[in-house]
Amino acid sequence: MTPSRAAVSTPPIDPYAAPADFGPRRFLHRLNPLSKIAAPLPAMALLLFTRDVMTPLVFCLVALTLLVIGAHLRARSLLLLLLAIPAIVGVMSVSFGIWADPSASADPSVIVEAGPLHLTVGGWLIGLATALRLAAIVLLALIGGLTSTGPDLVRSLVQQLRVPYRLGYTALAAFRFVPRFGHELEVIRQAHRVRGISDGRGPIAWLVRTAGYVVPLLAGAIRHAERVALAMDSRAFGAHPTRTERYSIAFRARDWIFIVAFWAATAIVIIAFAS
Amino acid sequence: MTVADPHDAASAAHARPTPAVRVQSVSIRHEGRDTTTPTEVTFDVDPGEVVLLLGPSGCGKSTLALALNGLVPHAVPAELTGTVTVSGMRTAHETVARLSERVAMVFQDPDSQMVTGTLLDEVAFGPENLLLDRAEVLSRAEESLRQVGLWERRGDNPDTLSGGGRQRLAIACALAMKAPVLVLDEPTANLDPAGIDEVYAVLRSLVDGGDHAIVLVEHNLDAAIELVDRVIVLDRTGRLAIQGPTRRVLVDQVDELMRLGVWLPVALLAALRLRAAGIRLDPLPLTPHELTAALEAQDALPAPAVAGAVDETVATGVARTPPAAEPAVRVTALDLDRGRTRILNGIDVTIDRGSFVAIVGTNGAGKTTLLQAIAGVIRAPAGRIDVLGLDPAKADARTLARTVGFVFQNPEHQFIKSTVAEELAHGPRLQGIPADEVEARVSAMLERFDLQELRDEHPFLLSGGQKRRLSVGTALIDGAPLLALDEPTFGQDRARASELLTLLDGLNAQGTTVLVVTHDLQLVAEHSSHILVLDSGRVAAFGTTASVLASDALDEAGLRRPPLARAFRELERHPSWRSVTRLRDLPSGPTS
Repeated sequence: MTPSRAAVSTPPIDPYAAPADFGPRRFLHRLNPLSKIAAPLPAMALLLFTRDVMTPLVFCLVALTLLVIGAHLRARSLLLLLLAIPAIVGVMSVSFGIWADPSASADPSVIVEAGPLHLTVGGWLIGLATALRLAAIVLLALIGGLTSTGPDLVRSLVQQLRVPYRLGYTALAAFRFVPRFGHELEVIRQAHRVRGISDGRGPIAWLVRTAGYVVPLLAGAIRHAERVALAMDSRAFGAHPTRTERYSIAFRARDWIFIVAFWAATAIVIIAFAS
Repeated sequence: MTVADPHDAASAAHARPTPAVRVQSVSIRHEGRDTTTPTEVTFDVDPGEVVLLLGPSGCGKSTLALALNGLVPHAVPAELTGTVTVSGMRTAHETVARLSERVAMVFQDPDSQMVTGTLLDEVAFGPENLLLDRAEVLSRAEESLRQVGLWERRGDNPDTLSGGGRQRLAIACALAMKAPVLVLDEPTANLDPAGIDEVYAVLRSLVDGGDHAIVLVEHNLDAAIELVDRVIVLDRTGRLAIQGPTRRVLVDQVDELMRLGVWLPVALLAALRLRAAGIRLDPLPLTPHELTAALEAQDALPAPAVAGAVDETVATGVARTPPAAEPAVRVTALDLDRGRTRILNGIDVTIDRGSFVAIVGTNGAGKTTLLQAIAGVIRAPAGRIDVLGLDPAKADARTLARTVGFVFQNPEHQFIKSTVAEELAHGPRLQGIPADEVEARVSAMLERFDLQELRDEHPFLLSGGQKRRLSVGTALIDGAPLLALDEPTFGQDRARASELLTLLDGLNAQGTTVLVVTHDLQLVAEHSSHILVLDSGRVAAFGTTASVLASDALDEAGLRRPPLARAFRELERHPSWRSVTRLRDLPSGPTS
């Protein structure tokens, strides 16, 4: 692998960027990554059991508000949150709505009819509820996802949850494999195409093709992993039961407040709308 | 260990300082192998000394390097007999982690040594593992990054560095361990010439500092040899063949080294050839610089074997005498974008049949893209490329396979079948060739590439050199008269690189047109008939090898002239020799 191509294939998003601070208004970045997982977790779990439209809608709005106010977002992410997700919800509500069981729907009046397919109001509402549920879970996950970095999460897992650091930092090192394997897969596909493997359409040809990528990719992956392991060993990885943490990721009062407040809000929303 | 090792006691009695590394009758047997490489090797490395480990491929140099910090036997499944002692610690009795404070390692592939997200975190990783306090971690990180000239970039992701930059970072990481011994295992094998220079500049400053004992495993002797105090040579079976001060080993035992199949500095090879032709250079030169000086000391030199190469002028763009036949490749006004970036910009090139063209350029110059476009691996705009009457942008895979064979950098990437014979038969079968004809072609190809014994072996189980030969075989079996190779020597040792180039020479002599993208400019000089220099997606120069090497095109494109060309170009007293770039240009002597 030439350095140039490896560098070019590096994704623009840097999963290792140093913990960023964007001022007090962007408060989500100042919270411990664990609290941003713990806080929405009950809401995410409870959403799986809701069937109405309002509960997921409220959670969507809460999550969106938190992200827009509390997270430093690039224009692209903001656009994705504010335009793409509602659009996806719209499309999914219709496609889920068509396949919803008509007998279960409350309102059988038809909105659109195309051949054997027809979308009823009741069906669409079921579809909308489902789509919103999915969107709410994704948005709640993004509260932590868009505002914490991989290394910070690993650090707090090690520092607060006492996860063995060997596990955490090995996982972090494995992050680096992803773009490398992506590049390697691309080269393998090119090579196989040159050998005339791409001839043939359909799922079986696809399966055969994909199986052909596995062996060279795995062979490369195992060799690479072995080398990384040797390099880590020779830099004293695992020498002591703990290692120096240059950044301590604090779990402060504000983290507790965020969690408790989020849980309380969750309870209120569930009680107010779901029942 | 509290009990003093008897050897340490003995050496303490001498005036000599305690060796930094003491290797005593070490044999290493990898799991599942019958033989040991290395075998019964004994040597010392003194504090501050720079030692070069040499030997033919497969003699166990890298394994021996891994034994110095205990990775063998602790992390690599292998059995070690004998003892390795590092500052009084027996490696067999210590953990790799504890030994890491005595011996720091730099490996071949910079990518596989990076574990964190910023340069600073990367350098801090080792000291953090040693449980040093924060202030100490930071001061070590700063000191090490400054030593390799990367402190200003401490906040960057290592992926944004060039290959040479990442390898410098790996050296900084090793320095941060504050170990008195530094082991580097082929640190420049994966780098382009600019990266090699960067790494050697850093190594030179370390050697000048004198704080480290350095053990170097390296094939690229042209860059390394100036830094080395002592050379240790292993033979094919992994036994210690020669050891001694650099000059004494290389100059006095040169015939023995050649017999062992050890790669020698090209300046020395040139001097030997001259010696056989009756020109005695004394002392024998080891570096291009010394070669220049030694030749200047000569009052008179005979004419070089190939003279007058400079009379052809290098044109930018097409440099070609009127065509004798239809050209193999004609590229006209080719622009190519990848995403929003323009990779190739107005390429005009005509390549004659039967030529051996090396495409060179710095990283990002567009070499691979041009090669892939010519071979139809990526689609160029239609009508811009003509390969023996075929437009690769429009041709289907089968027709293309009959015209151009493409060999990827890593042969494993293109293997798709489970036996060597199947692998070879795949192409002709796709062409719809009858079974007996396929069989005949496969047999011929197995024989040609010396793979008969292995016809039922799985391609992934072949040795590196065999894999490479098989990949060339699969590219040629459809009868393609044009062979395109993308950096086929990258990350390989010189012996294997040379084997491949010899193979290509043979094919070229039988009429195959060869296009090769490579970083190795000495190989280019020795084997290619033409050089195509790309610079930022444009043709900076295209002409015969001799004329391009004689011009300033390489320097202007940010490349470095290969060592021989550099040495001869500096000559003042012997102008007719200035155009010499290849060993075979020299008056004839023994074949090297």
